Amino acid sequence: AQGHGAKGDNIYEFQIEFLEPVEPKPVYKVTQRQLNITVQKKESNWWERLTKQEKRWLDESDAEMELKEKEEEKINKMKIESRVPKDPFKHLKKGYLIMYNLVQFLGFSWIFVNMTVRLFILGKDSFYDTFHTIADMMYFCQTLALMEIVNSLIGLVRSPLIPAVVQIFGRNFILFVVLGSLEEMQSKPVVFFIFYFWSIIELFRYPYYMLSCIGIEWKPLTWLRYTTWIPLYPLGALAEAVCIVQSIPIFSETGKFSLGLPNPLNVTIQFSFLLQIYLIALFLGVFVNFRHLYKQRKQHLGPKKRKMK
Amino acid sequence: FVSYQVEILDWKTKKQLCFLDKVEPNATIREIGLMFHKLYPRWYPARQSIKLDPKGKSLRDEEILQHLPVGTTATLYFKDLGPQIGWTTVFLIEYTGPLFIYFLFYFRMPFVYGLDERFTSSPHPVVNLACICHSFHYIKRLIETIFVHRFSHGTMPLRNIVKNCLYYWGFAAWLAYYINHPLYTPPSYGKKQINFAVIMFLLCEAGNFSIHVALSDLRRNGSKIRKIPYPTKNPFTWLFFFVSCPNYTYEVGTWISFTIMTQCVPVGLFTLLCFIQMTIWAKDKHCTYLREFKDYPSLRMPIIPFLL
Repeated sequence: AQGHGAKGDNIYEFQIEFLEPVEPKPVYKVTQRQLNITVQKKESNWWERLTKQEKRWLDESDAEMELKEKEEEKINKMKIESRVPKDPFKHLKKGYLIMYNLVQFLGFSWIFVNMTVRLFILGKDSFYDTFHTIADMMYFCQTLALMEIVNSLIGLVRSPLIPAVVQIFGRNFILFVVLGSLEEMQSKPVVFFIFYFWSIIELFRYPYYMLSCIGIEWKPLTWLRYTTWIPLYPLGALAEAVCIVQSIPIFSETGKFSLGLPNPLNVTIQFSFLLQIYLIALFLGVFVNFRHLYKQRKQHLGPKKRKMK
Repeated sequence: FVSYQVEILDWKTKKQLCFLDKVEPNATIREIGLMFHKLYPRWYPARQSIKLDPKGKSLRDEEILQHLPVGTTATLYFKDLGPQIGWTTVFLIEYTGPLFIYFLFYFRMPFVYGLDERFTSSPHPVVNLACICHSFHYIKRLIETIFVHRFSHGTMPLRNIVKNCLYYWGFAAWLAYYINHPLYTPPSYGKKQINFAVIMFLLCEAGNFSIHVALSDLRRNGSKIRKIPYPTKNPFTWLFFFVSCPNYTYEVGTWISFTIMTQCVPVGLFTLLCFIQMTIWAKDKHCTYLREFKDYPSLRMPIIPFLL
């Protein structure tokens, strides 16, 4: 029969062999939703079953049985697949990660303690030669931090690659390019604040990673690691922004990293202009990262449990 | 004989926008669109996107109602594509801009390089050559838009024109600024470099034009059927053996030659961006060809022979 159904125009047909003879002309009734076919028996009596064959019509309990079988199959499949092959380098990898995080923790602790002690002894005067005393250790730690990108790249660590790259690039740009290349910037007070904020954040991050490598979770540390960034991260970004703003006139004047005409490449590069663009990117990046970190916080700290009265 | 009923809902709010009674089963989407337009004059057919599924693809104009998977009461969804502008119009505006903007810099208008340098001319012949090539390129594009191209979609959204013009006009200004600058430095390898670049430029322009003519010949009678383009007697079209979109290949070649000719980083940057954009377009087109034609030549790559 020709019908217009959900899949468009099609020809539909089926065959049923009835138990006993029936009248040859069935009555059809077509509605919008279904097709009713009325077939009359030749002899009016009780039929044991509808069709000649033994084959039962499927009913609800059959459907349930099918579902159960399918689920059991699925569970068996999953059990076989989840038997992950044993990793022979597992302990080596863990050891390396613990060492890395430990070294970074020690480095930043040294920086933090040093800066705090000098702050107490010298007060405001410590601001002016922060770079002079701390820079070498900071260079070391931040150069070593490149390993975090490698770790993420080779899959040693589960954290995503792009935020790590953005963070490392951002920090190293400030440290090596903006501060490192301009002597004038190194004696500015903002350096103190940048280094201080960076090191406090790391004081919580690296121990948390160390413990999670071993598989221990110390709840207070988790809370600190996922909460202290809320004031510290924006403050750190603010300090970086102030640093850039202060450096722009110096780059303008000295023409460092800038290229003027005439030159064989026929292009002008104004580093101070690029820094202004970077400033905008910095604020956008902080905004995006803030949302990402907040989501992470929710995941790790879980929903707050209501206190029962 | 069954006549259909068509109801059209807004794709987001699912509100019923119109109910068409007694629609012929063999009505096309175009005809339904015209009926819809009568009820909503501001939503002309080019602006309409009619779909079966609110989040699905738009139905083509040629689709016939009774071949669609709908019951006798069909539910279609409408999405407003926003004000539309014709492709030809867009191209004309996009390409005229760079042509004239370049002249502002070539003739050294006073507001560009300062009053001291106004209306002066460069001592380097390559600067004149660059102006000729740049202008030739855009005039050729304008001619092709008017006489050669046959567009499959009539229109594009209006906001695209702002985005496209900013890109083409902005880059034209940026590269023209440096090429026509009083302190411009001609290429390091002198006449050899320039002559090589000019020859490459002419070859690529000829190639690009040949491909456009060949593609337009495929649709000679206004037919909308897509056909596989094949190499013709013209040697420039022999690139079709190796590449699905040789017009893009030649276009990138033109800009590479212009970069070599002027030895200018902004031109190089523009070339790079063109290359990236055209590779994306070429890959897209290549995939479409592969999907539509089972016997598509297997040697062909999207844009660079054997590589990309």
